[in-house]
Amino acid sequence: MTAGAPPYGSAILEHFRRPRNQRRLERPSAAHEAYNPLCGDRVRLELEIDGLVVRAAGFTANACAICTAAASILTERLTGATLEDAAGVRDAEMLAALGGEGAVPPARVTCALLPLQALRAALAAWRTQA
Amino acid sequence: MPDILEQLESLRAREFRVAMATLVAARGGSPRPLGAKLFVGLRGDLLGSVSIGGCVDARVAEHGQRLLGENRSERVTVTVDDTEARELGLTCGAEFDLLIEPIELRDPDQAVDAYETATRLSRSGQTAYVVTTATTPGQRPRRVVVTDLADVPTDAFFVERIAPPDVLVIVGASDVAATLARLARILGLRVVVVDGREQYATKERFAAADEILVGMPSELVRPFLRHGTFLVLAAHDYKYELPILRDALRSPVRYVGMLSGRKRAESVRTVLREEGLSDADIARLHAPIGLDIGGREPEEIALSIAAQLIAVRENKSVARRSEDAAIPAAPLARSSA
Repeated sequence: MTAGAPPYGSAILEHFRRPRNQRRLERPSAAHEAYNPLCGDRVRLELEIDGLVVRAAGFTANACAICTAAASILTERLTGATLEDAAGVRDAEMLAALGGEGAVPPARVTCALLPLQALRAALAAWRTQA
Repeated sequence: MPDILEQLESLRAREFRVAMATLVAARGGSPRPLGAKLFVGLRGDLLGSVSIGGCVDARVAEHGQRLLGENRSERVTVTVDDTEARELGLTCGAEFDLLIEPIELRDPDQAVDAYETATRLSRSGQTAYVVTTATTPGQRPRRVVVTDLADVPTDAFFVERIAPPDVLVIVGASDVAATLARLARILGLRVVVVDGREQYATKERFAAADEILVGMPSELVRPFLRHGTFLVLAAHDYKYELPILRDALRSPVRYVGMLSGRKRAESVRTVLREEGLSDADIARLHAPIGLDIGGREPEEIALSIAAQLIAVRENKSVARRSEDAAIPAAPLARSSA
């Protein structure tokens, strides 16, 4: 990064400043709150599942810009997705959506993947209940 | 500033009975509010005060020991009338009326029961009134506890309001927060500590806190966003500050302060303005937080915050910490771990 350049790419800034789906769902079918004990990032992901499709996704975050942006991007990605598709979101896809190589510093990858961790835990809990 | 229940518990550990002096009237000004209490033991041990020390408390203590020995109650007037001090112009000339009565600490006692009942009600969030009714000279005053002023008996001669303590919510279990929690507890505030990190918000670090809450800070804070709450953001991290400020600055809380340098505080204000908060909402934010007393150590910063809380509670105008004394500003987007 050059001196004076913005610290984050446009995707991160856009989703941090104008997060999508930042809301509590009325009747979530699946939910999980993930947190990073070191930095204190917290993100709760909620899903409304209808049959085998994610009808709605929402999140609540007290988290850094990268984590908040990742949650916002992830909920857009999940809305309307099949459960199989939702479960198949990879780390690399998440990092790419945040701006590709270099957009997320290595020390902050944990922040970027925290919402994905919440998604995987929410789906696992939902499958156990179902 | 322990409440009367804590004072009675402390006394009970070492005394069977004490004289309780209650300030019921003052002429010429009083440093302590009406209702202030001084407890006097048989051997002259003291707890509490009805003035700021000096000659008044000493004289009340003498009366207390005397009345304890005589096992009777009396309404006593103490005048600050030291001749030498008056001639030097070094006396305030005030006059205080005190109700002094022996109370039993380990046997049933109507006054102790009344104050304990009222304090328990206040701790549960309800305002209670201890009503002292007209008394016969020499005999114990009678007391009743009511929760509605309309129920105060017509022969009441003194009514004490025992209100729930003000609540201080500290977000961010930092070193500044740890000292602030201790100071605030001494000042009579109920202290709630909130953080998203359980290894910071521990009972060991916050022994003085009444409540420690770990989870999503913005959600944990929400039930406290009401009249009378003092809110201090001590995390020095926008990830907690922004979600809380969005709600808090639009709520009726009494005080919102944020640990921050001036530059970072302005960045936070800019973001909040862009998100639609009004100038009036944003003007409620005390940032940099605390009175301008200098000092950089966590304990010194905590003291400056505590002083500002008192000033706000007493409706005094407050000066803010200077740029020099504030925590160095960090760029908004980089302050997270």
